Amino acid sequence: MKPTTVKSFLARSIFALSLAVFAGAPAARAGMSRGFNQLLDAVVRIDVREVAFEAGTKRLAAGIGSGVILSDDGLILTNAHVASPRAVEISVTLANLERVGAKLVGWDHWTDLALLRLDLAEVRRRHLTFAHAKFGDSDKLFLGQTVYAAGTPHGLARTVTRGIISNNNRYFEDERAVNGYETGAFNTWLQTDAAINPGNSGGPLVDEDGRVVGINARGYLGADNLGFAIPANIARRIVAGLVKDGSITRSYIGLVPGALQDLENFYALSLNTGVLVNSIDPGSPAAKAGLRGGDILLAIDGKKVDGRFREQLPPIQNAIASRPVGSTIALTVKRGADTRDYVVTTEKLESRVGEEWALEKWGLSVRKVSRTYARENQLATADGVVVIGVQPGYPADVAGLQRGDVLTKINQLRIDSLEIVRRAHENYAAKPEAVLVEAQRSRQISLYVLKP
Amino acid sequence: MTLLPACFRSWRAGPALTRAAVVWLLLAPVLRAADIATLFAERLKSVVAVEYYAETESERRSAISYGTVIDTEGTIILPSVAINPRMAPSQLKEFKVYRPGSADSVPAEYLGQDALTGWHFVRAAESIRSALTPISAFAAKTPAEPGLAEELWGIGLRNKDEDFTPYVLTSRVALVQGLPQRTAIAQQEVAGPGLPVFNRAGEFAGLALSSFGQNYVQFSRDDRGGLPVIMVNVEESGAVLVAAEVLPYLERVPGNLFGRPLAWLGAYGLEPVDPEVAKFLKLGNQSAVVVSEVIEGSPAAAAGLKDRDILVAIDGRPLPRFKPDRVVVGYVGREIQRRRPGDAIAFTVLRGAERAEVTVALGEQPKLLAEAERKYFDRLGLTAREFVYEDAVARRASPGQLEGVVAHFVKPNGPTAIAGLRTDDWIKEIDGEEVKTFAAASARLAAIEADRMRTECVLLVGRNGETAVLRVKL
Repeated sequence: MKPTTVKSFLARSIFALSLAVFAGAPAARAGMSRGFNQLLDAVVRIDVREVAFEAGTKRLAAGIGSGVILSDDGLILTNAHVASPRAVEISVTLANLERVGAKLVGWDHWTDLALLRLDLAEVRRRHLTFAHAKFGDSDKLFLGQTVYAAGTPHGLARTVTRGIISNNNRYFEDERAVNGYETGAFNTWLQTDAAINPGNSGGPLVDEDGRVVGINARGYLGADNLGFAIPANIARRIVAGLVKDGSITRSYIGLVPGALQDLENFYALSLNTGVLVNSIDPGSPAAKAGLRGGDILLAIDGKKVDGRFREQLPPIQNAIASRPVGSTIALTVKRGADTRDYVVTTEKLESRVGEEWALEKWGLSVRKVSRTYARENQLATADGVVVIGVQPGYPADVAGLQRGDVLTKINQLRIDSLEIVRRAHENYAAKPEAVLVEAQRSRQISLYVLKP
Repeated sequence: MTLLPACFRSWRAGPALTRAAVVWLLLAPVLRAADIATLFAERLKSVVAVEYYAETESERRSAISYGTVIDTEGTIILPSVAINPRMAPSQLKEFKVYRPGSADSVPAEYLGQDALTGWHFVRAAESIRSALTPISAFAAKTPAEPGLAEELWGIGLRNKDEDFTPYVLTSRVALVQGLPQRTAIAQQEVAGPGLPVFNRAGEFAGLALSSFGQNYVQFSRDDRGGLPVIMVNVEESGAVLVAAEVLPYLERVPGNLFGRPLAWLGAYGLEPVDPEVAKFLKLGNQSAVVVSEVIEGSPAAAAGLKDRDILVAIDGRPLPRFKPDRVVVGYVGREIQRRRPGDAIAFTVLRGAERAEVTVALGEQPKLLAEAERKYFDRLGLTAREFVYEDAVARRASPGQLEGVVAHFVKPNGPTAIAGLRTDDWIKEIDGEEVKTFAAASARLAAIEADRMRTECVLLVGRNGETAVLRVKL
């Protein structure tokens, strides 16, 4: 079973329910702590309306999540699966039940974090006040330590649940957990038995003094009390990066690591060294440098790496990813009896998910092919747009295009950007005339005519 | 019966001619029935059932197919679906031929498959040959295409437990269409697949193909709305390849198991254009085919055919329009397969806005999957197969370098299966050493199996362009 993100998609009417006043302390000590009370005043409910390019049209979807205010200039931390660049309207309900608009500062799906900023002009105009929370040190968490999750599960605002740290170094990587985006390759997670329900997403996991030690992100559906949070020390770094640049840039070399587990003897390795190279992405910097699946990575820039267990892999991946794009890394690699260094120049890490758009007159939603998508699907180039939805009865459907097809040419023009199809669609909207489209389905190239 | 009063009336009216006509009218239905019975008995000699065993690593399964006799040497053709294309000829054992209504068989030899017709050829032992009549004995000199609504009849055979009892099927022609070969579609099933169909005069009219799927809606107590299902009658068929598409090809008895020589173009993924696209490309009422990929190092590549070229004509003849559109792909395939390696084939192609002529000297097909060497390793639960040209093409690898082996069969719950190996994985390294050839891989795997002290081995496998290191616990 896979952990599922816990954003709630309840209707706004649920809000009436959530007005129930937070009464009583969840635990004697926490209730009495000043820090804890301040924390509760910093927890917000977040309502997001976001655009979805599905089935050949642009649609709006509503979602609810939680968040925590970090600073007196109105920065709010939440999950990337709560607020993404697809959001068109973000509204924040403060602890005093006042609603304020907010804007996305930036997001990072790899750690499932997003940063918002309250509309401060509005805050001042309406003389609103709010508290902000403080980060704790997530590296100091111990197994069994009491923690609390605060948030808006199922739209029930200002809910606090209590549990313990069940594991402070949990590995899970998911290919598409954040609305289809990849997550978890560069960090491990906190596991807690504090109840985490849909709508808790983005809310803080705090210690008894109300210090934020994690950001709740997901729970196992159908399991009892298996919840997961992003450690605060990771979040703190991401927040700094998002404030500075609005995004987190990572380096990519195309090395897919695997846990060595009990293979040390087979590879004749000394104890606690080495990472198994499970695969090398074709055409990636590591492939160009000559690395292969089955190699053993011993050191990065002379620093020894130990990847016996899966939990040890994210920090190693992160060590590579946090290098500046275009920097060179020396990888010490053992292949058979030989050990030598390979120098790899990093590229910018890209998501599989490219920019999306709806070409509504054709009833066609598309997504730009990214380098990662092209690599995974063994496409020769990153040209083209993938069909992610087709509206029945519209020209694209009538012509026979299907979800998953990659459009490569339009009226003999190579589609090397989303702009090319957008423009062709605009021309069509202005003057509907038959358009010739070349598309690839798995490896077959076919032609289609979109006509009025 | 309704005719009778009128007949009596005209008889009373008189002349001898009318009397003869009436006698014929009265007797005709009786004569006809007698006719078919006689024709049927004679033509049964052109029909056999063929049984063989398909041996895989884990099982041995009997398969039965129907065949038509094509000469006096005991040669029999079976439809292409008679044998699973994943099976190598070495896995096909104990061919036996049964005459209709008989529980006795004679042994037969498998001769191979012809690429153009798709037919498998089998030769029955001498002892039975005198009881067989080639189908050509019943063919008209110049066979006419069956007309619309013409009555056809054919032979069906029951299963082995009923001694392949023959029975007659009749139907009328509903439609004759190019698919791309001329094919008569009957209103109902008219013969067992692979068996001959005759006209009213007993002349060979065609060969029943495997049948089409038919749409049905299945209702049940739980599902009152009805569930659409497609059903295929595997014992009888209503699709008939007309005699003119059969008789000229009966001589294509393969000289070897793989039907070599095999002409080879080297173009992958031929896709038809639909009439809208043809119109857009100003092709008029003809068809065209997009070449998805031209394989590196192939005759097509050598001749300068390019990815995404649109083929519009072969040897100057525009590609005809078929219904459905996809049939044109079969047409192009047949144009290649009817040629021999070394022959030329001239394509007119659309490339962007230009028209170009590309003449390809066809080559000889590289080693086929069925020709690949293979070996089963019981302790590993794995059949390793030689990595051949088709494997490289399927994995988008360079066909110039055929290295490694393919996991052709992975025994369920066997050691390699538990380690995560899957069918069609590409084994590139064994115990950290690259495997270049099938022989090297085979020797290495055999050594691992033979070493009783061994507790594990490590495989590096490729799958979808990625690799994985698998640890196999023995």
